[in-house]
Amino acid sequence: MNLRSPGAKPTVSEEETVAQPEENAAVAGASLVEAPADTVAGEVVLRLTDVVKTFPGVRALDGVQLEVRAGEVHCLLGQNGAGKSTLIKVLAGVHQPDSGLIEWRGEPTTFANPQAAMRAGIATIYQELDLVEDLSVGENAFLGHEPRRLGFVRRGQMVRRTRQILGRLGHGDIHPKRMVRALPAAGKQIVSMARALSHEARLIIMDEPSAVLAHDEVGNLFRIIRELTAQGIAVIYISHRLEEIREIGDRVTVLKDGRTTAANLPARDTPTRDLVSRMTGRSIEYVFPERPAAGPAGAELLQVEGLTRAGEFADVSLDVRAGEIVGIAGLVGSGRSELLETIYGARRADAGTVRMAGRALRAGVGAAVRAGMGMAPEERKSQALLLGEPIYRNVTLSTFSRYARFGFTNVAAEQAEANRIADDLELRPRDVRRPVRTLSGGNQQKVVVGRWLLGDTKLLLLDEPTRGVDIGARAELYQVIRGLAAQGVGVLLVSSEVPEVLGLADRVLVMREGRVVREAPAGELDENTVLDLVMAGSLMEGAPA
Amino acid sequence: MTQHSPDLSRRRMLFGGVAVGAGVLLAGCTSNESSPTTAQTKAAATGVNNEPGKKVVIGFSAPADDHGWIAAITNNAKAQAGAFSDVELKPVAAGADPAAQRAALSTLVSQKPDVIVVLPHDGKELNAFGLEAMTAGIPVVNLDRAFPDARAYRLQIKGDNYGMGVAAATYIIAQLKAKGVSNPIIGEIPGIDALELTQERSKGFNDTLAASGFKVANRRPAEFTVDSGQQAATGLFQALPKIDAIWNHDDDQGVGVMAAINQSGRKEFFMVGGAGSKKAMEDIQADNTVLKATVTYSPSMASSAISLARLIGQGKGMSDLVELQVPKEIVLASETITKENASSYLKLGF
Amino acid sequence: MSDATPTPTATPERPQLPAQSPPVDPAETAVASEAATTSNRLSWWRGDSGEGARRNLGLIGVLVVLVIIGAVSRWDLYSNPDWVWDNTLTILKLASVVGVVTVGMTFVIIGGGIDLSVGAIVALSAVWATTVATQSYGAGGMIFTALVVGLSVGVVNGILISYGRLVPFIATLAMLVAARGLAAEISNKQTQLSNNTFINNIASEKVLGIPLLVYILAAVVAAGWVLLNRTTFGRRTVAVGGNPEAARLAGINVRRHTLLLYALSGLCCGIAAIMLTAQANSAQAATANLYELDAIAAAIIGGTLLSGGRGTIIGSLLGVIIFSTITNLFAINGLSSEAQNMVKGGIIVAAVLVQQVQFRSITQFLGRNRLTSS
Repeated sequence: MNLRSPGAKPTVSEEETVAQPEENAAVAGASLVEAPADTVAGEVVLRLTDVVKTFPGVRALDGVQLEVRAGEVHCLLGQNGAGKSTLIKVLAGVHQPDSGLIEWRGEPTTFANPQAAMRAGIATIYQELDLVEDLSVGENAFLGHEPRRLGFVRRGQMVRRTRQILGRLGHGDIHPKRMVRALPAAGKQIVSMARALSHEARLIIMDEPSAVLAHDEVGNLFRIIRELTAQGIAVIYISHRLEEIREIGDRVTVLKDGRTTAANLPARDTPTRDLVSRMTGRSIEYVFPERPAAGPAGAELLQVEGLTRAGEFADVSLDVRAGEIVGIAGLVGSGRSELLETIYGARRADAGTVRMAGRALRAGVGAAVRAGMGMAPEERKSQALLLGEPIYRNVTLSTFSRYARFGFTNVAAEQAEANRIADDLELRPRDVRRPVRTLSGGNQQKVVVGRWLLGDTKLLLLDEPTRGVDIGARAELYQVIRGLAAQGVGVLLVSSEVPEVLGLADRVLVMREGRVVREAPAGELDENTVLDLVMAGSLMEGAPA
Repeated sequence: MTQHSPDLSRRRMLFGGVAVGAGVLLAGCTSNESSPTTAQTKAAATGVNNEPGKKVVIGFSAPADDHGWIAAITNNAKAQAGAFSDVELKPVAAGADPAAQRAALSTLVSQKPDVIVVLPHDGKELNAFGLEAMTAGIPVVNLDRAFPDARAYRLQIKGDNYGMGVAAATYIIAQLKAKGVSNPIIGEIPGIDALELTQERSKGFNDTLAASGFKVANRRPAEFTVDSGQQAATGLFQALPKIDAIWNHDDDQGVGVMAAINQSGRKEFFMVGGAGSKKAMEDIQADNTVLKATVTYSPSMASSAISLARLIGQGKGMSDLVELQVPKEIVLASETITKENASSYLKLGF
Repeated sequence: MSDATPTPTATPERPQLPAQSPPVDPAETAVASEAATTSNRLSWWRGDSGEGARRNLGLIGVLVVLVIIGAVSRWDLYSNPDWVWDNTLTILKLASVVGVVTVGMTFVIIGGGIDLSVGAIVALSAVWATTVATQSYGAGGMIFTALVVGLSVGVVNGILISYGRLVPFIATLAMLVAARGLAAEISNKQTQLSNNTFINNIASEKVLGIPLLVYILAAVVAAGWVLLNRTTFGRRTVAVGGNPEAARLAGINVRRHTLLLYALSGLCCGIAAIMLTAQANSAQAATANLYELDAIAAAIIGGTLLSGGRGTIIGSLLGVIIFSTITNLFAINGLSSEAQNMVKGGIIVAAVLVQQVQFRSITQFLGRNRLTSS
């Protein structure tokens, strides 16, 4: 079985050829865009140079540059998986970098553990606030370094100092003796910041602080951040919401695939399209297989009508024909992954129908698989793989009972089939008895996709198939996907990389805030149009676009 | 998918039929009718004490252990109370531990019974309760597991654990001397080793053996359950290729010990049991096993406790004694049951 | 094929990042070629059974040490070959009942659960099978009753956990209490003697010089091994325990399989109940006390991961045999059971520590391999 479309020649997709030279320069990372630091006057407190952090199978950080000055709000932008969380954890002392240089207030440093980072003056406010719900505000603020004498906590002093700090944050209204459990999310955030200040923090890292806040509470948050920076404290601010970055940020550093793709852009003046394209755009030249000359005219395969899940997506209708690749473009939070999982039966729809070849599907993954669906989920490791198990058992995870006779597994047949898949996908290393854990991200993804090449998969749902996959493996995956379509398999592809959707799909749906806002053949769309559609909601008024 | 449905449903029905059938059969299988528990009741045959007197409400509490001896205690108390027309028994569940029993007893005190008969989970832990009830003016009959404080009970009636060990050792010494064994190998299978009663029994056994120059060669504790008795005995047999005598503290776990003896085919020794179960007495009487004797620790003390509680409630003394009131402490002698006297003890077996 | 595969190095506009993202990770190719040459030689170590097999060798080493301690301390006994053979069979007989329970427990734990109710199920099955009414149906009725009671209780556990979404710890803890209560109710807290000679003989019967109980243990272990390693059931067990979400998204019915795992554990308890009744010639509600802890401990020192997804039947069997050997060792030396329990606790901790160190060194070894070969 040749999985690649017959006679496919590697061609550079149209978007590639019109790529602007300046953008390439910015993306290449070797010569980062350095904006004149006109808005920032403070000294540099933190500088990261070529920081690398690898986990088995993944290069989470692959050369990160970052420079933070005292008194500035430095925004960190990047898609899920771009390496933001790892970077935060390196700064917070949770992880130690494999290589590269961290300079903290001029001194080369590594933080052996979170306590060391805290002592040095770096405080981190995680998205899921790490507060002890059943302790008071003051006890949380001074957790682990309570003012004490002879081993006894000096409660009075603790309350007094907490009140002082809360006053600095403009929240004298929160009583230090109140239980944290009784506070609203915004209040808990204040407590987290009070904890940071109780440590005399010089740098506060905030991981999506606005995610837990209502709209009007964000204004209050910004006011506090401004007060902090006025006191000379540096803030690293992480958010997906561009309008927040415009409002509160001074400079922006963009991460993609564990690398800094742009550093120190002015937060207010950089065109939105530039920011988004550095997050989502190509960091390398993609090579897409050629589309078949004649448009696919396969039979109706998947029909989705009015599919709705409250709070995630609403009234989505789409269809996929046999041999067709349909791409869904959208940012994180647009409801794309949830939509895919609902079609697959892994989430229960509130309304709407999913039909395969005209037949309505019953609830549950089992029914979807029996109807010929297969899915490669977004989180490979936690949703798709048995990391300690051999490759072949992962490849046959949904088909092993087909090779079995009277309930007895046929390991020889499974290995033979897995070997065939491994050959077709050029899996490296080739020994299918090795644990999947030892594979690189790209090869792990091949295992997940390869799983659905066995059996009679008619429709393949791919959620971010190339996240964390290196370029060589990417090109191969594209070939495989196109090859499957050539054999009549329908593909529904979700990706936050716009060029990938445009280059690979025959037809494109653009999702924003849980709704499909545009549907068109891929040839009729270009990257800029899609980018505008994808982030229409996050466009700043008056921002040059 | 759909074409499988009829097949599936037929399979389900078939399975359902089997399940229902099994359920009916199993429900019938819980019946235990042909083994009624006999209680060791004995209403006083003579004397004025037997005449119905003032009505006495007796509160009763014993642990809910899954053990034949404890079960016999409760059964005996209930049966004895039933034999008196002027006694009303108020049993309360003692739960699984001292704390649960304390809670149950507190509610009992609030109902103001005339007398309370209590077999505590642990004498030391429930001593405070005894004091509390006595202070409240309710006489307490402390059964078997002793309250250490003499103010905590009106009457203490208990078995003699040390005496059990003495009795078992005495029998074993006599038998061995009669056989002329000079350097015997003696095995011991006690119950739960952490309990004070086990330690007292073992001490009585060892002290008496030592006086004759004998000693225990190996001791493998069980847990008063049949399976632990079987395992302990198996271990003992592995350790001692030749044995002259064994004392097993408890006839309940002795069922397992006897099973282990049968399975190993060992019969070069003789064995003495403990407590005095009906099964043990029958075996001794039949004289076809290695079990030749058992030393009693009889649950009949519960029957006596109810009788004496009634007398205390009515302010009477024991008719055979000169004293006008029931004595403060009664310790039952541990008797040795052999083939010769088994028939007379059989009705006291539990 | 090769001309259809683009070689990204030939892409004209490739950005100049020499150190980053080489087109084909040289580490991988290096490992691949190395793996190709060594896979035949090392497949036994590296294959899917490698880790487990090595751990089992370690357990056998522990057994050998225990036997040597026994031989040194009681040479008077060990010098007699007949006694040694008889003692070996005794150890296996001692291990047989818990061993059967542990096989079921191993499946449950590999499947990501825990069954605290096994001891109670054994007691309930044994009590139910030895009531006067059941005994009137003869040996067949008793065996049938024990198996059906065990299976049914297991199914109830499974339904509570998979469809009732109770945490396994809580559901089986509740079952532990309830099943013992029911057993006490049925038996009226009395010891129920088994008068059935066929049942009682199971414990004393020998075939070719080996006790029947040992054959039963061997049969259950063999069946468990085949079920875990050679059937789709076993494959699902590993998948469901290793990564339930991945199993679900691969189309495996995780809930139904979870139910079956607890049913299997219950069935094993039913088998154990017959063996225990045969051994003790009787049953009572307090029997099989703390078997759940013995079984869990044996599975864990046998290398079963408490979080699921990994474990071997042979390892669990060795765990049970190690425990019964320790019991035997203390018995023949006349040492107290308190000391024995302390040693058992120490062995559990030591076994888990050793495994953690082993596991870490294996992952480090693989990781280093990848990095150094690039």
